Amino acid sequence: MPGLQPSYRSFVKRRGALVKRFDCLKFLASLVDEHMLAVTSLSTNAPFWFNVRPQGPNFFALNMGLCLPFALGLAVAFPKRKILAIDSDGSLMNDSSSLITVADVNPANLVAFVMDNGAYAFMSSTFTTRRTDLAKMAQGAGIANASTVKTLEEFSAAAKRAMESTGPTLIVAKVERDAGRVSADRSRTSGRPMREWFMEAVRRHPDYQGHR
Amino acid sequence: MDQHSVQVIIETLKEEGIDLAVTLPEEPTFALTEAMREDPFFQAVTVAGEGNGIAFCAGAALGGRRVVFVTGIAGLLVGTWALSQMGMVYGAPILILASYRGDFGDHSGIPGSQLLMFKQVAEPLLGALRVPYRVVNQKANLKRMIQEGSFACQDYSHPIVLLLSGEVLW
Amino acid sequence: MKRFDCLKLLAPMVDEHMLTVTSLSSNTAFWSDLRRKGANFFGCNMGLCIPFALGLTVAFPKRKVIALDSDGSLMVDTSSLITVADVNPPNFVVIVMDNGSYARMGSTFTTRKTDLEKIAHGAGIAKTGTVGSEEALLTAVKQALETSGPHFIVAKVEPDRVRVKGDPHRTYGRFMRECFVDAVRHHPDYQQARK
Repeated sequence: MPGLQPSYRSFVKRRGALVKRFDCLKFLASLVDEHMLAVTSLSTNAPFWFNVRPQGPNFFALNMGLCLPFALGLAVAFPKRKILAIDSDGSLMNDSSSLITVADVNPANLVAFVMDNGAYAFMSSTFTTRRTDLAKMAQGAGIANASTVKTLEEFSAAAKRAMESTGPTLIVAKVERDAGRVSADRSRTSGRPMREWFMEAVRRHPDYQGHR
Repeated sequence: MDQHSVQVIIETLKEEGIDLAVTLPEEPTFALTEAMREDPFFQAVTVAGEGNGIAFCAGAALGGRRVVFVTGIAGLLVGTWALSQMGMVYGAPILILASYRGDFGDHSGIPGSQLLMFKQVAEPLLGALRVPYRVVNQKANLKRMIQEGSFACQDYSHPIVLLLSGEVLW
Repeated sequence: MKRFDCLKLLAPMVDEHMLTVTSLSSNTAFWSDLRRKGANFFGCNMGLCIPFALGLTVAFPKRKVIALDSDGSLMVDTSSLITVADVNPPNFVVIVMDNGSYARMGSTFTTRKTDLEKIAHGAGIAKTGTVGSEEALLTAVKQALETSGPHFIVAKVEPDRVRVKGDPHRTYGRFMRECFVDAVRHHPDYQQARK
């Protein structure tokens, strides 16, 4: 693999073949109806998710540690809809205590995915590749349905199961590192403009209880 | 950050006896933290969150180690609780090199709304936390700024932040 | 188990060259009463006890460093356990006094679904245990102090019924910090970490 540090090449070899993040998200989008809400972390989750599910109530690119708790908040605001959190390893590790809060609130409608590429963007390997098992931490926090998947088949089966059952569910997907920087329409996937698109979708949502 | 600035920083940190380098990797300072990781002079520690990172630095510093924490504005925001304790309450001598995201000259491609927030918040945040800081944006005085910052850090016995910007960072 | 009894058992096992850190909880008042020698940092605020003590392990790599944390404090920042697992210091002993409550302000998550030992294990700390009796605590701590760590022990204790206050000068703020730094500077291993 050109352009990768020698130490990372051997780390990739040790990890074995991994599922591609984009393929996972593409499959996930096929399970998502127009009224489900989705939240992504700051990572390639954002542009990829925008690519596969451009319409609907999506909140993109939440900064480190904020994706899961924000999604939890949405789960409480929209108790009859599935809420998808599409998080990443570095982000969840920044505030792993959010797992405890999720377990305690115990929302039946929350499905959280942690796209674990073992890195912060393009910068070296992170702890999840050394000693940390995020699914195990989630179980310790009290989320019984927490598991790790390594292939697209495993991901698809786990995602389908999660969408059809009562949550909360957490699925850690061991994904390949991204080959390059991915960009998407900034006005739709970041900051204030993204927030306005999201709020517009939320205000039109049939279950919305707030101020119109 | 170009290799020349990386080398000046590393060389100066060594001269100051700072041999513990702590970080949570971020792009603008990645070249620096990787170089420190590969240099056997430094004990390099990567942390999972900046909050526990700053507390870790404080324990090491009050314990007698000379430590540098490399982060960015986002990291300072996450570490605000820890900084309030380890700075204002306990005066731990931690030298912090923080990339000044959002300062003029940041063409890194992060969305403008984030950059604006970082620019508006960074200095008032440090002011609110009573952490002395300086903006370091010229290669010509980079070495001296680190020397002076390190000395102040030990002399005041307090965290000190050097906000890296301009031609030093980009 | 009563927290004070546990700490009383612990005190004679900790020699004067070991370093200790307590969290903001009655750990502070009790431990400061029992521990009169050595370098001790008292009353570290929520979420900061374990990472601060971890910093001490790299300042004094040849000495056992003991963090006396509490459940509420640890849960503010469980990510610190990931950092502990990654640094992996053999001289680190974490003892979490888990009374399942935030002072007298209601129960914490450990009385419901949260298992701190499991979280620590998931974070990557191999040597973990939960104890509910003084005998088990004694055994676990003895092993932790005599073998290579890091060690993570959860001690299930009863909530304190009375508010206990330690000596405010020795246990909080600037004077505590000065006593601590003074003890650190007189420690035989001071600034010997990289030698």
